[in-house]
Amino acid sequence: MPIYAPSLPPRPALDEGLPPALVIARFDIRRVLKQRVGRFFGFMFVGSLLVQLATLYVRHLLKTQSAFGGVREFANQVFTQGPEFHAGILTMGGWLTTLLWFQVALVGGGLVARDSLYRIRPLMYAHPVRPLDYLLGKGLFAVGLPFVILLPFAILPWGMSMLIAGNNGPISAWAPLYLLPSALLISVLMGAVTLGASSLASSPRAGFGWVLGISLGTSALGGLLMGLLHESAWMAISPQALVRAWPALLCRVSEPPLEWIPTLIGTAFHLVLWTYLAARRTRPSEAVL
Amino acid sequence: MTATVSLQRASLRYGDILGLSPTTFELPEGGGITGLLGPNGAGKSTLIQLLSGLLPPSGGEVKVFGEAPFRNPAVLARTGLVPEGDRFPVGLRGHAWLRMMGELSGLTGQELQKAMASALAAVGMEVNGKKLFSEMSKGMRQRMRLGQALLHEPELLILDEPFNGMDPESRLQLMEMLRQQALAGRRILVSSHILGEVAQLTDRILLLFRGRLLAEGSVAEIRELLDRHPVELRISADSAQAVARWAVEHDELVALRMEESGAVLAVRNPRSFLPKLQEAVLSGALPLRSLDPIDLNLDAVFQFLTKDHA
Repeated sequence: MPIYAPSLPPRPALDEGLPPALVIARFDIRRVLKQRVGRFFGFMFVGSLLVQLATLYVRHLLKTQSAFGGVREFANQVFTQGPEFHAGILTMGGWLTTLLWFQVALVGGGLVARDSLYRIRPLMYAHPVRPLDYLLGKGLFAVGLPFVILLPFAILPWGMSMLIAGNNGPISAWAPLYLLPSALLISVLMGAVTLGASSLASSPRAGFGWVLGISLGTSALGGLLMGLLHESAWMAISPQALVRAWPALLCRVSEPPLEWIPTLIGTAFHLVLWTYLAARRTRPSEAVL
Repeated sequence: MTATVSLQRASLRYGDILGLSPTTFELPEGGGITGLLGPNGAGKSTLIQLLSGLLPPSGGEVKVFGEAPFRNPAVLARTGLVPEGDRFPVGLRGHAWLRMMGELSGLTGQELQKAMASALAAVGMEVNGKKLFSEMSKGMRQRMRLGQALLHEPELLILDEPFNGMDPESRLQLMEMLRQQALAGRRILVSSHILGEVAQLTDRILLLFRGRLLAEGSVAEIRELLDRHPVELRISADSAQAVARWAVEHDELVALRMEESGAVLAVRNPRSFLPKLQEAVLSGALPLRSLDPIDLNLDAVFQFLTKDHA
């Protein structure tokens, strides 16, 4: 008599997929693209970029068209020149970085907090996903988001300058060598703060509050210490100040908001602190079902 | 024969708190359902975390398919977990979530599509799987959770309180799906704090209580064991003597302690004792003002016994 031996269907091949970190990052990217807030910020950043490009073109016209000879002197006084102008491309006088902080707070604040709220992390760890994969995936998104936004600001004005005026344009031919590392450093710093703040929060809304709170709170504290101790280096405890300092330092502005040493120490401090916190808060021991 | 799951004095501590005392048991190879029964806080989720590789044991040994499951991709690829809870991010669609979970298991391309179709069919969500989670009923969401655990065709399926908050119809549907999965050859471990739920699914039960494996056996054996467990009840009444006089007449009484406003009774088999108490109060034989179980954990045991009884 035949014996009925129940058997499972053949197991699918499981080894050819994307690395888990990329799967996690891609899932977050898709989520942001569907959000209304993503579209709003997209509009704001594209608008800012267009203003940047228009300003650049006006500069070019003022410099090259004889019809504007009368106002050229005045324009040179109004528009910043040289390294200051290069550094300002990534900050737009603080407007761009402020907008970016709001954006990373709104979008990135929920990056880890959402998974904590909806208990998604234990489920991920029950798959072949290590805590390092999770952190890498989230970090990739947190750093990638500001970098992808800053990239057109670092490349397009330079490209346009080269196109319309070559080496004689308002932006140096070597500018990407300073602007791209600046954009990367800004993104890494923002990404680390976002990741750490989001891991401390219990909901996306709280994550938004944490990111803004850290960003504004450390600026206020830095300002207070600077005023009390008459030492500008104290501003290095503020990620906002560090974000402004890096383009200035790399573009060799004559009077940067912060010197090299405090900027390096402040950046290292924030990277270590927030990455450590995020790693601690996303350990499986925290992933109580 | 190798066991699918084997625990040898496995324990887990959360700092100073003991989540699971040294526990030893085995789940045999092949298809079948085992119930993990215990009140809230008994250590069911802790045990599930050990088995699904989320945490390493603090002591002893945990083996799943002959290997330690903690951060072991070879074991995790053969295990499916349906965690407790019913919360999903706003604006998330079922198939998007399923796709991510499949990709995290290492599935891609055609394999992933096939696995998604097969998992959705197994849980009866072919039509509704593309809906937003917010548009699904609780039963549908639970079926999607089961679907994600089935994507990579696991041999061991672990479900943590899968019937919580489900309506009776969805509960029956889910039970039927689990029976089919067990028949197909999967070993299934289902945790619950309601004896009646587990009893409908399987006759093999592990009973956890206060982080300890109290018993392993059939539903009938577990019921008997629970009935033997003494429960302490504080009875406040107009006359403590009247309570004592009434209580000593019953075989279930193990111990009696007099208090100013009543008495503390330690009784075995509360399922037969409590109806007698109720009857005495209703007939006016016992001037009862209040009834409090003293030990909260025992209260929980008592609660799931009465739920089962109901």
